[in-house]
Amino acid sequence: MSKPLIGVILGAVLGVIDGLTAWFTPAVRNELGGIVIGSTIKGIIAGIAIGFFAKKFQSLPIGIVFGVLVGALLAALVAIMQGGYYLEIILPGTLVGLIVGFATQKYGTTPAAAN
Amino acid sequence: MIDPDTDIGGPLHKFPATNHSAIINARSDDRLVRRRAFDTILASYWKPAYKYVRLKWHADNEDAKDLTQGFFASAFEKNYFATYDARKASFQTFLRTCLDGFVANERKAGQRLKRGGDIDHYQLDFAAAEDELAAHASASLSPEDYFHREWVRWMFTLAVDAFRQRCEESGRIVHFQLFERYDLIDDEVSYASLAKEFGLEPATVNNYLAAARRDFRRIVLEKLREITATDEEFRIEARSLLGVDPQ
Amino acid sequence: MKWLSDEKLNRLRTVVSQPDFSATKYTFVKELGRGGMGAVYLAEDPELDRLVAIKVLNTPEITEDLRNRMVREAQIIARLEHPGIVPVHDVGTLPDGRIYYAMKYVRGSRLDEYAAQSASLRDRLRKFQAVCDAVAFAHAHGVIHRDLKPQNIMIGSFGEVLVLDWGIAKIRDDPRASAAYQTNDGAVIGTQNYMSPEQARGQIDQVDERSDIYALGAVLYFLLNDQPKISKAAHAICSKAMASAKEDRYATASELSDDTGRLLDAEPVSAYRESAFERVSRWVSKNRFLVLLVLAYLLMRIFLIFTSRR
Repeated sequence: MSKPLIGVILGAVLGVIDGLTAWFTPAVRNELGGIVIGSTIKGIIAGIAIGFFAKKFQSLPIGIVFGVLVGALLAALVAIMQGGYYLEIILPGTLVGLIVGFATQKYGTTPAAAN
Repeated sequence: MIDPDTDIGGPLHKFPATNHSAIINARSDDRLVRRRAFDTILASYWKPAYKYVRLKWHADNEDAKDLTQGFFASAFEKNYFATYDARKASFQTFLRTCLDGFVANERKAGQRLKRGGDIDHYQLDFAAAEDELAAHASASLSPEDYFHREWVRWMFTLAVDAFRQRCEESGRIVHFQLFERYDLIDDEVSYASLAKEFGLEPATVNNYLAAARRDFRRIVLEKLREITATDEEFRIEARSLLGVDPQ
Repeated sequence: MKWLSDEKLNRLRTVVSQPDFSATKYTFVKELGRGGMGAVYLAEDPELDRLVAIKVLNTPEITEDLRNRMVREAQIIARLEHPGIVPVHDVGTLPDGRIYYAMKYVRGSRLDEYAAQSASLRDRLRKFQAVCDAVAFAHAHGVIHRDLKPQNIMIGSFGEVLVLDWGIAKIRDDPRASAAYQTNDGAVIGTQNYMSPEQARGQIDQVDERSDIYALGAVLYFLLNDQPKISKAAHAICSKAMASAKEDRYATASELSDDTGRLLDAEPVSAYRESAFERVSRWVSKNRFLVLLVLAYLLMRIFLIFTSRR
């Protein structure tokens, strides 16, 4: 399985989980569908970016840092668009970025290895 | 490359390998063959036997002398060695056991042995044996281990003497002298100092010593072959004599 | 005749048993060890300015049969060009008639010494895998070692693994083409604790590659024996390699090497069928850090849910 694909799958799964946890916030429960979709898309975008980065640069520490930055940036954009819940959005988003950054560096094949 | 001139006995394949075992020939019906075999056995064992009798049986030197001579005389006359079975024990062990039995019987009989029999004419230097015993007896070894150790010592002594004789006969006494100086007398002497002393090149000293050691090894193995009955026994005794592994 | 002191006597015994290298290009340095029919000596090769190990057939009498067997041993090793098999440089006859062959001098320690230095389980398994690879190579060239044991395996100073002492090796399908030194049918060859059942019974015609597999299993058992915790998979690999019936063992040393590799990579091994729980546990154990990250994420999520409710 390629690194970008791992990034996409993991980013999507964690994005869905992220979105579903919005159900525990009654104020936004009505918008759950949109939140889940948005969160999933955010996760996929992060996964693609981090996955392609891992394909180009094989370094666990750098991959993790990149993942954290991408995750935090995308989450911050979403939080700004929401106009609130900064901690509830940015912190999990950053952690998702860290997880995807780690997983894409550790697992998956690069084109050279596959050949 | 070795200078063929340095090899005393000639190349290995020309050096006669001794196939005669005195142990086997000691059972011969031919008295002359038996006599020669007996001579070999006597020469190889009289000294360790004497020392053993002195230590184990606490015999004084005169008694030990009589017992040793008496044992070998009886051994020849009554053909003790004909009953030796190499599958049961080494010849060394067999001889030592026979010796113990002989001494025990003589002690029981309580009679003074007559010296005599067929070994009267042998020049056995009991005085030297006694001197060695006085100077070098070991309290830490069992009599059996002492017998073995003295047998090893005597085998090498006989080999050194035989080697010296062969070198003298073949006009290569320098080989023996180098061997004696380097391997027998002085641990600290170098090839260079020997070369200087003997007026030889160091490379020649190296070659002569290598040849001397080869020939000495052959002589030791020849002597061992004479007093073992089978290949298996030969290999086992070689191990204890040389530290060479048997098959 | 002069009295020979104990010191002189010992010196003479050493002199007589030492090999005479004078007609060769080698210079004697010291004895490295002895066993079986031969002794191994350290020597200098002045032409190539290197140290070599020289094995000398050290019996007191050299028969044509023994000479041929020693040469055969050298030939068997020489035809096996593999990084895990010690290379032979030279074979010849010493002036005193003893046969010798010169081989690479391996600086390092035997596998049993290496294990005694508290090598980690992973290191031991990696070394074991390298041994299997070398043996697999020999088998692929029709050579069966027949005396594999930790004492015949060297770990070099750079961690390289070399299999030594092919003195009783056999070439498959050629019972005469053997370096073995016994001449009796049914004679037992090899080292007891590492000997396959068919070897122990003296069934020389039944000895094949799987007899070496058995010995490899025994070597693995030796390497695992003093470890505090051994997985069921590792036990299963040992048991399969050391099965009494040849048919139940690994068919090749390569299979054994592959299973060892899978054990090292925390992958399922062919010798052991995992339960679903064991499979999950193994996956979790292998991916511990990722699992911890995901758990940390979930815990953090739960924490945020609770704090936002307040």
